[in-house]
Amino acid sequence: MTVTPKPSRSRLDAEPVSRRDWLGLTSLGVTAGALLFGLVGLLRLPKAAVLSSPSKKFRVALPEGLPAGEAFVPPGRAVAVFRDARGVHAISITCTHLGCLVKPTAAGFECPCHGSRFAADGSVTKGPAPRPLPWLKVSVSGSEVTIDEGTAVASGTKEV
Amino acid sequence: MRASPGGRAALAEFRANLKAAPRRLYESAFRSGAPTTDRSRSTFVFGNVFLHLHAVRTHRWSLRWTTTLGLGVMSASAFLITLVTGVMLMFYYKPSPDLAYQSIKDIHFVVPTGRLIRNIHRWAANVMVVAVILHMARAFYTSAYRSPREYNWLIGLLLLVVTLGLSFTGYLLPWDQLAYWAITIGANIAQSPRELTDALGVTGLFDPGGFQRLLLLGSDVVGQEALIRFYLLHVMILPLALAALAAVHFWRIRKDGGLTRPADADARLAREPAADTYPVFTEAPLRTYHLAAVVRGRTPAVNDGPEHTLPSMPHLFYAELGVLMLTLLVCVALALVSDAPLKELANPSVPENPAKAPWYFLGLQEMVAFSAFMGGMGIPLIVLLGLALIPFLDRETSATGEWWGGPGGWPLVKRSALVGLAAPVAIEAFAIRFGWLREWFPAIPQLVVTAVNPATLLTAAYAAYSVWCIRRHQSARAGALALFTCFLGGFVVLTAIGTYFRGPNWVFYWSPADWPTH
Amino acid sequence: MNKNKYLLLVSSAAVLLLLIGAAVQETFLQEWRRLQARARTDEGPIPIQLRQVVNDSLRAADRCVSCHVAMGPGEQGVRGEPVLAAHKPVVHDPAEFGCTICHAGQGQATTRSEAHGDVRFWPEPMIPARFSYAGCGRCHATLGVPEQRQLQAAAAAFERLDCLSCHRVDGRGGTLRPDGGGMEGPDLSRVGLAGYDPGWYETHLDKARTASAGPWRGAVGPSSDEDRRLLALFLSTRVASPMLVEAKSVFHSAGCLGCHKVSGVGGDDGMDLSRAGDKDPGQASFHGVPGQPTIANWQLAHFRSPASIVAGSLMPPVAASDRELDLLAMYVLSLRRRDLPEVYVPPDRVRSVKLGEREFAGDGATLFGAFCSGCHGQDGLGRRLPGVLSFPSIASPDFLAIASDGLIVSTIERGRPGRRMAAWLKPGGLRPAEVRAVAGYLRSLGGVPPEEDPRPARWVTADAAAGRKLFDGVCAGCHGPAGGGGEGPALNSIVLRDSATDTFLVKTIGRGRRGTVMPGFLSATPAYPALASADIEDVVAYLRVLQGGGS
Repeated sequence: MTVTPKPSRSRLDAEPVSRRDWLGLTSLGVTAGALLFGLVGLLRLPKAAVLSSPSKKFRVALPEGLPAGEAFVPPGRAVAVFRDARGVHAISITCTHLGCLVKPTAAGFECPCHGSRFAADGSVTKGPAPRPLPWLKVSVSGSEVTIDEGTAVASGTKEV
Repeated sequence: MRASPGGRAALAEFRANLKAAPRRLYESAFRSGAPTTDRSRSTFVFGNVFLHLHAVRTHRWSLRWTTTLGLGVMSASAFLITLVTGVMLMFYYKPSPDLAYQSIKDIHFVVPTGRLIRNIHRWAANVMVVAVILHMARAFYTSAYRSPREYNWLIGLLLLVVTLGLSFTGYLLPWDQLAYWAITIGANIAQSPRELTDALGVTGLFDPGGFQRLLLLGSDVVGQEALIRFYLLHVMILPLALAALAAVHFWRIRKDGGLTRPADADARLAREPAADTYPVFTEAPLRTYHLAAVVRGRTPAVNDGPEHTLPSMPHLFYAELGVLMLTLLVCVALALVSDAPLKELANPSVPENPAKAPWYFLGLQEMVAFSAFMGGMGIPLIVLLGLALIPFLDRETSATGEWWGGPGGWPLVKRSALVGLAAPVAIEAFAIRFGWLREWFPAIPQLVVTAVNPATLLTAAYAAYSVWCIRRHQSARAGALALFTCFLGGFVVLTAIGTYFRGPNWVFYWSPADWPTH
Repeated sequence: MNKNKYLLLVSSAAVLLLLIGAAVQETFLQEWRRLQARARTDEGPIPIQLRQVVNDSLRAADRCVSCHVAMGPGEQGVRGEPVLAAHKPVVHDPAEFGCTICHAGQGQATTRSEAHGDVRFWPEPMIPARFSYAGCGRCHATLGVPEQRQLQAAAAAFERLDCLSCHRVDGRGGTLRPDGGGMEGPDLSRVGLAGYDPGWYETHLDKARTASAGPWRGAVGPSSDEDRRLLALFLSTRVASPMLVEAKSVFHSAGCLGCHKVSGVGGDDGMDLSRAGDKDPGQASFHGVPGQPTIANWQLAHFRSPASIVAGSLMPPVAASDRELDLLAMYVLSLRRRDLPEVYVPPDRVRSVKLGEREFAGDGATLFGAFCSGCHGQDGLGRRLPGVLSFPSIASPDFLAIASDGLIVSTIERGRPGRRMAAWLKPGGLRPAEVRAVAGYLRSLGGVPPEEDPRPARWVTADAAAGRKLFDGVCAGCHGPAGGGGEGPALNSIVLRDSATDTFLVKTIGRGRRGTVMPGFLSATPAYPALASADIEDVVAYLRVLQGGGS
């Protein structure tokens, strides 16, 4: 039996990858696929299916003598509720800029963080806020008002 | 029972082994013996997993104080200090809104050395941010990003981002008013891509801003979920990322041939002989490798005249240890003089006014006061992208390793610094005096404000100026020098305005004494 | 390359020095260490260590006892500097309850300034020592406290009837004892909570009669029913917190509840005071506040001149002496709340929350003092304040002589819609019996019964158009166009229309109100000509058709 010498190759030459090395290629491919799939699953973890935050809908009783045009901020909520002759409306007091709580004033709203100002109807009059303060959905039954922080309504919508 | 002679011999051997155990333990740990000779110094370095990140020999140029100012080592030292003090703080800190504030109070008041450790942690974090920024400036001004160090420059940028992330995530943990509102703002900056998607009307379909915020807070509000996430990021994810990146960063220094030095460094060093250098290669190498097969390109010393390297052990290690202790000294001294702040307990219904982020983000906050997306994400991304591109745009080779090296040189840097400082002052003065678009045209579309605001104008002005510098000096390096210097100047001015001249409602005041009382 | 070695040497040496300094400071120099080192017991020096009172259910971990050592559990024997001394005897043992539950401040802190709250960002500084009793308000509601004059009369009666000879109350009295030392009668400091024998009067008389010698003989004589009522009132307010009771009685005389709510009771004009004692000094502006920037000083300055402390405030300055203002400030400081575990909620708080028992006494004088006197004055004669609408005199005999009880009661119950006078018959306002008590007290202020009125409520049949002309010429100057109110009261209120009789209106116009600017129009005055009876009836007819003022 004769040994046919292989053509000599320098150690520095690149080693040719065999196109028929299906075993190696497949195993690498499957590994990558499995890890990638696992990674996608892993990345789903930080986003909870249900958030732990409190319900966006809540009921609140307006104080008796709330003067027209004066804001009532239910404790612990980022909403200002107003009542006048035409009905009740609620405006979110979370600044549309960077989420600070704006302060209801005689002229409208003032944000302490970056000086945004809003008119009484929530529209931006000054500062960096990109959007007006949204009006929120309210429904009134007697002196109780149900407010849905999650649903915005058109500016000017009042409920009786 | 009588011991056989064989048994007695075994016992004797056992006794001898027992006696020799300490010596053998030492020898197996430190194989090379005391590092007194060139050879044992070398083996001391590459026989140690930690020291092995260093080359065995260090070029004398690298050891000159003016080469690096020790800033890289200072950054690493500050990280080490925060790491140690941070782990100590974890003994007491409880990441829960009900307990976090009280546990910080306990650390402050009754934990032995707790106050000092917390102060050191806080100051080391600040020192680290400063050192990292200055380190980047050093690398830039000495052209250390040039080939073959492009990759390490990018790693360095990542390290900068992770460093800022570490500082920022640590900010929430005390759960005081400062923390709560700074994080509320931070989380909403993460949400600020909505400014664009809202303006385009596609938020319902594609909401990267909302997703980022949700990912960060784990909820709609800054609460327990947010706290545990920030805690996890602060004590686990980011430190691990930073350690891994730093390891690559250090290792690449070695692989890239040590620190950048001018082409004529050896010649210049020859003129300043060092009295305490060790003789070079007095003994035959202990082992030889097939160097030719492994290393491509020029080797530093072969056929290249006198050797200007010193054994890393001990020269480099004295320098590194010295900087480490200097950093520690700075942190301890500051910690003894000034307490880390702790304001009142977080109150989600009373915004802090003014709500200021950590100082190094106040420049961003200043820009955010015009457009949340541009100031908080757009411009920072543009700056990072610009920094990342520098090594690929500047392919020049002249004056590498020289401070302020390149066409234009120091005068250009000075001029650019002037532009970099003056432009934001002018734009801010204008905006503070006359207001901005929204005050003039209340109905203006948000996209216009997002695109045209002091922050974008400033960036555009810087870019225009650096393009002009490229043309004038016929060199990309000149443009880079101008742009980088301008950005530094802008950072300084905006940070200073945000820190010292902004009061309640983010209104401009000459001094806090003028703040209205509320 | 020696410079690196020097760098290392110098910085290491400096770090070492700094750390040694820090260690010395921490181990030897802290103020509580130095204090404890000077403390002694009979057995000798005390171990130097951080001490604390822990009460998990009250969420207290108070390290105050690191300096105030003898107040700590089982450390009564410690002597030394005054700061180390034991707490004076109190109902609640500080060794069990901790310190901050009553005194506020930061129990977790271990340095003096930080524990007492003399630092920035202090959400809860200590209550100043002179207001210490305000701390009781955090848990206790202290029910049924009368207004000031009654409380003072009650205290005076107790003093006058010489009860202090035998009884000790709030640290005073109980000195009489022939063989020296001790007390003859029991300490009465807490009888308001603990109760006492209702038959005490007969027992005392019996004993005084039958005793042959000693302090009892002739010690107690017969006393009037009124005196005994005052004694009972005095004893019911002895709840071991005399200053807080006094402060409440001042509050119940100053009429603050007319505008402010406390624990859900009171008016809506002012801010709710239920937690005013928790006000965070970090959130307050001390602009224009003299002295230290404390909440107590803020309150004091605010009482004296509300508008100069809170811009745009409509609150009238509180008319009271310095001592009364101090007591008011103390009352406000007592309005603190902390969520308590069930077992620690005291019975008075339960009664006030669950059963709706009032903090103020239910008699007309106290109710008038608490709700009405802020605007109408303590004597009911009205207040005229610059920049604020003037408030009508409702104790004027001219008014009370012609106003029926029905008019007074319905005015209190329904108020004057659109004006500052609120409708008091509402949740958080007065109850029907309380309204009647106020009306009764008001009647007693004027000292006149209502005149007989044989006519029906509406008898005027005159010309409203003519009345209108007269009104515009004569009345509108004070009462405003169309009776909308001005210097004088508004006359277009539906409540007035509904409940005032024609006789009342006619007589009011005819006779005027003495002591106010309202003249009697039956006779001429320098400013106005006299009106004939028919003219007055025309005006009344016009008043009947005025619109507005709520519906």
